[in-house]
Amino acid sequence: MPEPTETPNKDSQVYLPDFCAASSILVTILVAELIAILLTLAAHTQPGTFLTELSKMSMYVLWLALPSAAVLCRAHTWIEKLGPVRAFVMSFAMLEVLCLLLAEATFQVTTRYGAATVINDSHSLFLLRTFAISSIIIALAMRYLYISSEWRRSVVLEAQARISALQALIRPHFLFNSMNTIASLTRSDPARAEEAVEDLADLLRANLGGPKDHTTLKEELEVAAIYQRIEKLRLGDRLRVRWDIQDLPMRALIPSLTIQPLLENAIYHGIELLPDGGEVVVSGSRIGDQLHIKISNPVSSTAISKKDGNKMALANIRQRFELAYGKRATVRLEETDDLFSVQIIFPYAERSE
Amino acid sequence: MKILIVDDEALARDRLRQLLEESNEHVVVGDAANGQQALAMSNTLHPDVVLLDIRMPGISGLETAQHLNALEKPPAVVFTTAYEEYAIDAFDSQAVGYILKPVRRERLAQALERARCLNRATIMAVAEQSGIENRRSHICARVRGELRLIPVEDVRYFHADQKYTRVCYAGGEHLIDDSLKQLEQEFGDDFVRIHRSALVAVSQIAALKKADDGEVSISLRGDGPPEEDRLTISRRHLAEVRRRLKGRSD
Repeated sequence: MPEPTETPNKDSQVYLPDFCAASSILVTILVAELIAILLTLAAHTQPGTFLTELSKMSMYVLWLALPSAAVLCRAHTWIEKLGPVRAFVMSFAMLEVLCLLLAEATFQVTTRYGAATVINDSHSLFLLRTFAISSIIIALAMRYLYISSEWRRSVVLEAQARISALQALIRPHFLFNSMNTIASLTRSDPARAEEAVEDLADLLRANLGGPKDHTTLKEELEVAAIYQRIEKLRLGDRLRVRWDIQDLPMRALIPSLTIQPLLENAIYHGIELLPDGGEVVVSGSRIGDQLHIKISNPVSSTAISKKDGNKMALANIRQRFELAYGKRATVRLEETDDLFSVQIIFPYAERSE
Repeated sequence: MKILIVDDEALARDRLRQLLEESNEHVVVGDAANGQQALAMSNTLHPDVVLLDIRMPGISGLETAQHLNALEKPPAVVFTTAYEEYAIDAFDSQAVGYILKPVRRERLAQALERARCLNRATIMAVAEQSGIENRRSHICARVRGELRLIPVEDVRYFHADQKYTRVCYAGGEHLIDDSLKQLEQEFGDDFVRIHRSALVAVSQIAALKKADDGEVSISLRGDGPPEEDRLTISRRHLAEVRRRLKGRSD
C-alpha cells in the first residue's frame, strides 16, 4: 500500500540562546542595568537620591536576573525539546517562580536584618509588584528571543534553499547527453539540431536565472515542456508525457523551477531505467483555494538504482515551498512497486497588479 | 577492429557510428540498445571491442561488461558515459577505458587503442569506488558456447560441486564460473547459505523438514530439487536459516 509521507516538521527548533555563554551573561547584566535605570527613573521622586535608589534597584534586578540566567543555562537542553509553545510556558513559569522566591528572600532578609527600611511596600504588595514587573519583562524577552530566532531560522532556510537550488540545477549529465545528441543531429538532421540548441539555450536561461520565488504556472509549464522536448530527442518513443492540466489556472503563481526538476526526476529515475520507457503523467487541479499538482512515473521493479539524487531535488523543492508558503504547502510522495509520484499542494494566488 | 556499439539512445549510437565510419580503421559490426541485446550480438558477431554505455535500462553497462567475460574470447570494453559521478578517478586508477560524452574523435581513437579486456575484479573495483551498486540482475551461464542470462529472481539455488558451481532455476540448471563465496557476497540479501555447498533463495524456501535422524533439510516451492541435491542444512547454518525465514516478509 502506498504510504503518503508527510513533510517532516521541524518545529522543535531552539529559540533560547545559550545562557551559559559569557556573552549572554554580559548581555543579561546590561539589560538588567537598563531595566534598573528605567525603573528608578520612573519611580524617582525626591531629588538627590537617584544614585542611591539606582544602586539599590540595580542590585535587586541583578539579584533576580543572574539566577534566572543560571536556571535557563541549566534547563536549556531539555526546554528545547518541548517545542516553542511549551518551551515558552515552561520557561516563563520557572522564571516566575524563581523571581518570587528571590523576592520573598529579599523581603525576609531586608526586614529582619536591614538597618534601615529598604522596602517601603507591604509584604504582599512587594511580591505583587515584583511579579507584575518581572512577568512583563520575561514575556517581552521571550517574545524577542522567539522572533529573533525565527528570523535567524528563515535566513538560514533561505540560504539553504538558495544553495540547494543551485545544486538542483539541471544535472550535468543531462547537459552532456544533450550535447552529445546535438553533436549527432548536426550531421543527420541539422534542422532538429538547431531546434535542440535553441531549446537548450532557453532551458539554461531559465535555470541560470536561478529559482525565483514566484513565476506564473504558464511560464513554469513552458520550461517543463522545453525540457520534455530535449529529452524526447534522446529517448525517442520511450518517453511519453501526458499533460492533464486543463483545470489549472495558468495565471497562478508557483515557485519557479519546480515542475521541470520533478519531470527530470521522473525521467531520470523512472523512464530511463525502463527498456520500453513509459508515460509520465503531470496532472493538476484547483480544489478550493489550493492547487494540487501531481507528477507520477512508472518505475522499474527490478532496477536497483534508487539513488539519493532524487531526494536532493525533492528536499530542495520542499524547502522552497516551506519558505514560500510555510505550513500551507505540502509535498507528498507516494511509492508503490511500479509507480512513483510526487504531489505538491499549495495555496492559489495570482500576481497582484 | 570489429566494434559493437551499445547505447540505449539511438542518437548516441549514431554519433559513435558516424565517428567510427569516418576513420577507416574500424568496422562497426552492429549496435545494440541494451545489455541483453549486446550480449546476444557479441555471441554471434565476436566484436573485438564493445563500446558500452554505463547507464542503461535493464542490464547496466557494468553488468554487461561482467557477463561479456563469460564469452570464450571476451572482447575489450570501453565505457561511454556522460556522468562525472561514475568516478572517472576510479577508471583512471584501474586503467579502464572510457570516453566522456559528448564524444570527441581523438578521445575515441585513443580509447580504442588502449582498449582491453576487463576482468571481474576490475569491474567490481570500479563499481565499488564509484559507489554504484553493482549487484547483477542476471547470472550468466555458457551453454554450448553461447551466453545464457538467467534472471536472479528465477534462481532457486546455487550448488557447488568439486570444481563447478551449478545454478538451478525455473528453466533447468547450468554450470557457471562464479564461486559460491562470490555469489553469497553479491546476493546475500536474498540468498542464504544452508550448507558448505549450497546457497538457496530465501523466497523459494517452502518449509524445513526434519528427518528421523535429526537432519533438517529444505523443501522448495514448486518442484523440489533433483534427487542428488538434497538440500540439507548443516548444523552450523541452521540458526541463520531460521532467522532469515522469520524475517521474510511474506
